[in-house]
Amino acid sequence: MARREEARAEAAFLRGDVGVDGGSTRGEDEKDQAELERDRAREQFVRGRTWLGREFLTWLLWRSEPGDALLTHEGEGLTVLFAGRVVLRGLHGEVSELSAKGALAPYSEQVRRALDAGLLLHSARLRFTLGERLWEASLDAEFLDVRSAKLPALLTEEEDDQISERLDLADELSKLIDALVKAFLTARTSKSWGKETVPSMKRWMQGEEKASTLVDRAKRVKAKG
Amino acid sequence: MPILRGAVTFARYRVEFKERVDLKRALSRGLKTHAFEPLDPKSEEARAAGFAELENPELIEFSAGALYYGERALFTWRVDQIKIPGAQLKAAMDKWTQTFEREQDRKPSRGEKTAQKNELRDQLRKRAVPVTKTHDLAWNLKTGDLQIWSASRKVVDEIVGAVETAFQARVIPQVPGSIAQAAGYDDAAFKPTAELAGAEAVEAIDGAA
Repeated sequence: MARREEARAEAAFLRGDVGVDGGSTRGEDEKDQAELERDRAREQFVRGRTWLGREFLTWLLWRSEPGDALLTHEGEGLTVLFAGRVVLRGLHGEVSELSAKGALAPYSEQVRRALDAGLLLHSARLRFTLGERLWEASLDAEFLDVRSAKLPALLTEEEDDQISERLDLADELSKLIDALVKAFLTARTSKSWGKETVPSMKRWMQGEEKASTLVDRAKRVKAKG
Repeated sequence: MPILRGAVTFARYRVEFKERVDLKRALSRGLKTHAFEPLDPKSEEARAAGFAELENPELIEFSAGALYYGERALFTWRVDQIKIPGAQLKAAMDKWTQTFEREQDRKPSRGEKTAQKNELRDQLRKRAVPVTKTHDLAWNLKTGDLQIWSASRKVVDEIVGAVETAFQARVIPQVPGSIAQAAGYDDAAFKPTAELAGAEAVEAIDGAA
């Protein structure tokens, strides 16, 4: 009997189930799993400077909440609205990815709390309104690929003209995204990024300030100037 | 053909040439040297990929009328692939095993099974019809913008590699990092914002550098 016990213990040791002290190694395995996840999250964060894309989408969420035009594109005001599912990702804490569904989910308190805890927006569905035209598309932070986009209704009837119009509208959507990225880069490299923008975003995440406050303040300063 | 109809899903790139080129000539040459070539039924290749005409992926002439739509060049990346369904191979193997056991009065050895499996795979492959998929490209020759209309990241990466080789050009993704670089911003200005992503984020970037 004792020999059988001994053989069983030896087999468990050889399988890696127990350590030299006879204690279970399961705790170490779990730790390894968590570490693996963290490494994967780090790799995703660094690859292709994904963090910049995530900061862009997070900034855009904050900036779009008041619902006014974010910039002027070819003489028309561009407004952006986050609609539907958002995916948030982060590097620290116990949650590395969080998904929120619902028409108003992107601006919800739950999402803002998660952002405050250090998660950033990784992918979202956005609605772009330029004058009377409306585009809708899903974007992700790593590639800013356009996915499942809806274009404004085509006005032409001939097939060749429709191809050109469809491509023009796709191009225009791409240009709108580039224009928003450039607006973000301007904000991101300005001196007020660390002093005003980020603190204001944090207060908005914590529910202490409306996103419009800083924008209004900036407008007032501009009007005075 | 997603460019012509269907879901609007595309990856965004910009094409930059390493040196000044006659774009239309480079385009015609690049497309022809990397044009689609059908799978040879006698070869063991199970996949073939290359450029083809947008409206008729059977053609690789790339005449001006078929290639240019205003300031854009439109063409497609055609992928033909032969896939032998596992269930079909298994059924054929089971049938062969039963016949073998009946005729030889013994079970086939592992070596015999492997040889038969390879032979069956070859036979099925010769009979199989390749599955064709196309992934469209819209290249604005005026702005250099390239849209790859595909939902598969793996295929997009393959096409980017093919465009770079065929046209001796750099294909740059339109992401904040590259837009910042093109706009002349200093790389050092774009470390993660610790207040937003946490101190670990800054450490991750420092660690990766």
